[in-house]
Amino acid sequence: MLNINSNRSAGRAATVRMCVFAALIVLSLTVSGQAVAKVKVVATLADLAWIAEQVGGDDVEVSFLCKGHRDPHFLPAKPSLARKLKKADLLVYNGLELEIGWLPLLLDAARNPRIRPGQQGELNCALALGEGEILEVPVGEVDRSQGDIHPLGNPHYLLDPRKGIAVGRLMADRLARIDPAAADRYRSRAEHLAREIESRMEDWEAQVDSLAVKKVIVYHQHWEYLVEWLGLEILGVIENRPGISPAPRHVEGLIELGRLQGPVLVIAATWDHIEAAGRVAEKTGSALVVLPGSTYATEEAAGYLDMFEVICGKLETAEETAEETGAEGGS
Amino acid sequence: MLVPARTLFLLMILSGLPALASAQSSTLTGASRSMNPAISVNGLIRGQTSRENPTGDLNGFKLDGVELQFISVVDPFWKANFNIGMHPAHAHDGEEDGHDEGMVVHVEEGYIDGQSLPGGLGLRVGKFALPFGKHAPLHMHQFPFSDAPVVIAAFIGDHIFSDTGALGTVTVPVPWYADFRIYGVNGDTMPFDAHNKNLVGGGRLTNLWDMTEDSTLELSGSYLHGPDARHPGENKSVDMYGADLTWKWVSSARTRGPALHMTVEAVLPDYEEGEGDPWGWYGLVQYRFHRNWWAGLAAGQADAGLDHHEEVPGHEDHDHGLEGDLREYKVNFTFVPSEFSSLRAEMVYYQDKVTMEDDLRFIVQANFTIGSHPAHLY
Ligand SMILES: [Zn+2]
Repeated sequence: MLNINSNRSAGRAATVRMCVFAALIVLSLTVSGQAVAKVKVVATLADLAWIAEQVGGDDVEVSFLCKGHRDPHFLPAKPSLARKLKKADLLVYNGLELEIGWLPLLLDAARNPRIRPGQQGELNCALALGEGEILEVPVGEVDRSQGDIHPLGNPHYLLDPRKGIAVGRLMADRLARIDPAAADRYRSRAEHLAREIESRMEDWEAQVDSLAVKKVIVYHQHWEYLVEWLGLEILGVIENRPGISPAPRHVEGLIELGRLQGPVLVIAATWDHIEAAGRVAEKTGSALVVLPGSTYATEEAAGYLDMFEVICGKLETAEETAEETGAEGGS
Repeated sequence: MLVPARTLFLLMILSGLPALASAQSSTLTGASRSMNPAISVNGLIRGQTSRENPTGDLNGFKLDGVELQFISVVDPFWKANFNIGMHPAHAHDGEEDGHDEGMVVHVEEGYIDGQSLPGGLGLRVGKFALPFGKHAPLHMHQFPFSDAPVVIAAFIGDHIFSDTGALGTVTVPVPWYADFRIYGVNGDTMPFDAHNKNLVGGGRLTNLWDMTEDSTLELSGSYLHGPDARHPGENKSVDMYGADLTWKWVSSARTRGPALHMTVEAVLPDYEEGEGDPWGWYGLVQYRFHRNWWAGLAAGQADAGLDHHEEVPGHEDHDHGLEGDLREYKVNFTFVPSEFSSLRAEMVYYQDKVTMEDDLRFIVQANFTIGSHPAHLY
């Protein structure tokens, strides 16, 4: 391959030949190191990893790419993450372009044909959403003047536990195809998970139902599915164009609206611009509620169900403090 | 490779017409849009003042570059990536007059990547950026400062370092992330003698360690061997050695929180025929001090390693033979309101330690991308 004909280069040519040889050895090692019983599942998000663990049980080995405390829109595409994808039998991801900034790069770097688009090992979990279940699908002409990260509609559907149930069933179906011997186990675990989520949902709904404040201002459009499920109302969004820092004029208008239509709760995820959300809360005399935006986002959100437990608990206690501060501000 | 800009534009427009004509995919006309590649266009616009203005064309506004990118899966076996760049003509682009206001069109990259090779092996065929160091493979719109470091411009070139051939990648089975890339290319680009039939061969070993959840250290080495452009037709070769160290820290707790990037890179060319011990380096720091704001500092050197000023033979048809000892110092501020645009203000001081010529430049640069442009790997 290398045509080297100067005398000085004879030693170099030998070096290059040795490198090729070493590369071939490495290659043969990589090929021979396969054949394991458990299905290796790699999830992009912590929520999906938790669901995959419940559905897969002992039949799978689950890892995930975006740690719970990170904003899933902006994960740095580190090569070490591509390494995790290399060995995956099944990739489960959120879809709706939530991971567009990093997953395609990691897939290319991973060079794993099993999880390429269209393969059995690639599962877009947004497929679990039925007709009309995707919120905020843009109508009319779409361009980036409206922000650059929710082009296919709001991708944060996992904050509705009912969608978690649907995703669990979707995963079970796919795992059953990849590993037919354990098909029944996957399906029965998914149903078990569904029953568990349903039984807990009643408590959470009752908890939030008792709130006097039903209006919220959110930092990023992260909470639409949660709000819809719990019967709350979004009065406004601080970061009104997803992925773009809000203009001061917009924030002022929102504060005005909050004052007129309050009391409200101001909701932000741990990774959001908390100071900006805090200012809105302060100026509208409302409470700022910093919530785990994902499973494992905080220590207490130690699972998908725990995350809802924390969210509903924090909303409840926040209202109490809001009433206190609101009373102080009003007098 | 030069293609008349007008012809290329015409071709592009023509090839896009059927797609534009049908708003929806149309099976019957055969003008379906559903298989169209992802298309993006990047533009770089610069305004500059130079105190000395040594080449006479450094003051004023200019379109620094336009890059068109087309990416698509070809079939189950290949994925293709084309990148066509239009940049202001330089003397080394074959123009008689370095001040030519025209643009030249380069096929910067045009390659296919194997999609289903066994054992996680990577194979790239076509014209691609050569993995030599950190800066040389960058497209202009990815540059951390407005211009390439003097060491890269002097020994490799001020554009993307791309050439035609084949590249293989293997993952090295070590506890950290490591990959080894090896390539053979034709040697059509600077610093290679395009008229020499000898191929260029090279490799790069990349090592990455996740120090913490938020920080990564990269230590890599590069090597290449090919015919030396400074002696056209004389069968002289050049060996190029490169080493680079990068430390990146990005706060994971906050979206657009603080971030710090540091890179040091050194390049040592070893010419079969040539005097002195040329070498060079640069170091840079970039810090995101506010959500949409970055500050950058850089210093660098490209030293021909000559004791005295001497004309290099064969130099006349190439204006990139380094003779002195160039130093550079840069500072910039970049405003990044979204992932698709940025504005930069930069101050650069150049000095040649041999001739004691120097220059001070102020640069403002706008960088924007439209269309479906993929993000860049970490
Ligand atoms: Zn979002």
